[in-house]
Amino acid sequence: MRKKLNMQQKRILEALMFISPWIVGTLIFFINPLIQSIRLSFSKIVKLKGFVMEWAGLANYEKAFLWDVNFIPMFINTVKNTLINTPITLVFSLFIAILINKNIKFRGFFRTIFFLPVLLGTGFVMKQLLGLGFDAGAMSVAKGIMVPESLALYLGPTFTNAIDMFLSVITVVLWKSGVQIVLFLAGLQGISVSLYEAARCDSATEWEMFWKITLPMISPVILLNFIYTIIDSFTDSNNPIVEYIIDASFRKNQFEYGAAMGWVYFLFIFVVCMAVFFIMRKRVYDSGEK
Amino acid sequence: MLRNEMTTSEKVSGVFKFCRNSARIEGAKLNKYIDKYLSRNFWINALVRAGLYLLLFDLAFIFVYPFLDMIITSFKSTSDLMNITVKWIPNSFDFQNYIVAMEQLQYFKYFKNSVFLTLMCTLGHVLSCSFIAYGFARYRFPFKDALFGFVIFTLIVPIQVIIFPLYIFYSNLEWINTYLPMIVPTFFGYGLKGGLFIFLFRQFFAGLPYQLEEAAKIDGCGPLRTFFTIILPVSKVALLVSIVLSLVWHWNDYFEPNIYIADQNINLLPSRLPALYEMLNTDELLNPELDLIIDEAIVLAGTFLVVLPILIIYSLVQNKFMEGIEHSGLTGQ
Repeated sequence: MRKKLNMQQKRILEALMFISPWIVGTLIFFINPLIQSIRLSFSKIVKLKGFVMEWAGLANYEKAFLWDVNFIPMFINTVKNTLINTPITLVFSLFIAILINKNIKFRGFFRTIFFLPVLLGTGFVMKQLLGLGFDAGAMSVAKGIMVPESLALYLGPTFTNAIDMFLSVITVVLWKSGVQIVLFLAGLQGISVSLYEAARCDSATEWEMFWKITLPMISPVILLNFIYTIIDSFTDSNNPIVEYIIDASFRKNQFEYGAAMGWVYFLFIFVVCMAVFFIMRKRVYDSGEK
Repeated sequence: MLRNEMTTSEKVSGVFKFCRNSARIEGAKLNKYIDKYLSRNFWINALVRAGLYLLLFDLAFIFVYPFLDMIITSFKSTSDLMNITVKWIPNSFDFQNYIVAMEQLQYFKYFKNSVFLTLMCTLGHVLSCSFIAYGFARYRFPFKDALFGFVIFTLIVPIQVIIFPLYIFYSNLEWINTYLPMIVPTFFGYGLKGGLFIFLFRQFFAGLPYQLEEAAKIDGCGPLRTFFTIILPVSKVALLVSIVLSLVWHWNDYFEPNIYIADQNINLLPSRLPALYEMLNTDELLNPELDLIIDEAIVLAGTFLVVLPILIIYSLVQNKFMEGIEHSGLTGQ
């Protein structure tokens, strides 16, 4: 039998061998819990022991949208934060990557510093350092950089507060853009130097070169980073809504309700990512062969 | 000898000649300098450069500020903590905070747990993701694009959506309170950001020349052997990048361990930090304000201790790691 396989079939079998662990993993650790969780979101747990469920229709979803006073505001809040933070993250990380990519001294030093937040992690450490600790009032460890007192006197409270707000947002955003900076840096390194040389021969300025060469050439990385930032921001376990979902499931034992909220949240992320992907894909520079 | 035979006038003229020559050279140099420093371009360039460095150092400062603050506060003694004039440089380096934090965290016990789990997960990720990615990078098979799209799709699904069914599944297997729920999925290309590692390896393998495999095939090398003895050894860059990322992410992760592990004995270092905070918060001294400040310093010392191993590992490989990311074709260009 084996002899009768032609070349192509043999190749397919070999490919299957390589991806078989993933297929097994997908079935066990992904599809299975995914289906369970859909079923759960439409049911009501009758008995926790043995996990007996009863069909409950849209009751859990109704609860999320119509009865729960916390869910919708939290949801909107998270979306708002993501909407604000994503463009800032993208612009800043591209900006920093371009700066580091220039022929400068201490390049390694800067690269390390801008990657530092990734090393310090996303969990409790990050929370601590950015002063988002358990009791933000009493336990704010480092609030980022504030406007100095002497300057604040001149500027007045409204303006100072605005700047403080801006600075703290910037600190948080910058601290979450380590991976993006590195990806942009990789993208910038991939742009052929000859393009810039040709542009310089035609006496293009740095500014023109940025808009005409750097930006189009780096657009695939922008798309990649865009989606990465959105997902990272939505699935961050410090997010209030994520905490709320986990809280509902594991502390209040409303597993079916937690699953329903999780699904609403996930579908939203999925739609956003798809929208970004399909809107941007047409504008992204494609080198033809990938 | 020759010198003595030279007449005075010859000597003098020689000196003059030398001076004139050097003056000419200096003059030319000077002219060059004058040209350089008086030209508009030079000053504009210098200004741009200065501005660039200023900007970079400013941004770098914003980045390291919380981190620096953590290190410095953790080294302050009680009197320095009380003294608001001591901001950046403590009067003395005090290890008291570290001693307390180490004791309270039971550092070495939990350090061992964390190291074990992190190493196992990293091993799983590197082995399985490179293996799977090779299939995606080098073979053509039906539904390949759809399946690879699905790999990316698994990244979008927040773990919170599926964590409860997974919990039930693991508890049926009696895996709760063991490290298995974290370790086993990594050997199947899942676990913490597993899809991302598959993506990373695929991008790297796609950039390798086909001649590698063709030569191996002609010499009668099977696909498995080709992968392990030819492809993996030339993929050191991608391996390093994913090892570092996997180590860092697993070391810092505390979401999944918090769900699956309730047993204090097998708990992990990052999960101990909130516990440290709670523990310190319960003892009330006479002066609550002072107590809070000291507790803060201890928590910061503990935090620093937790991230220290990662910082050390990263500082050892950072050059190679960054080069790896920049040249691994990670971004698909």
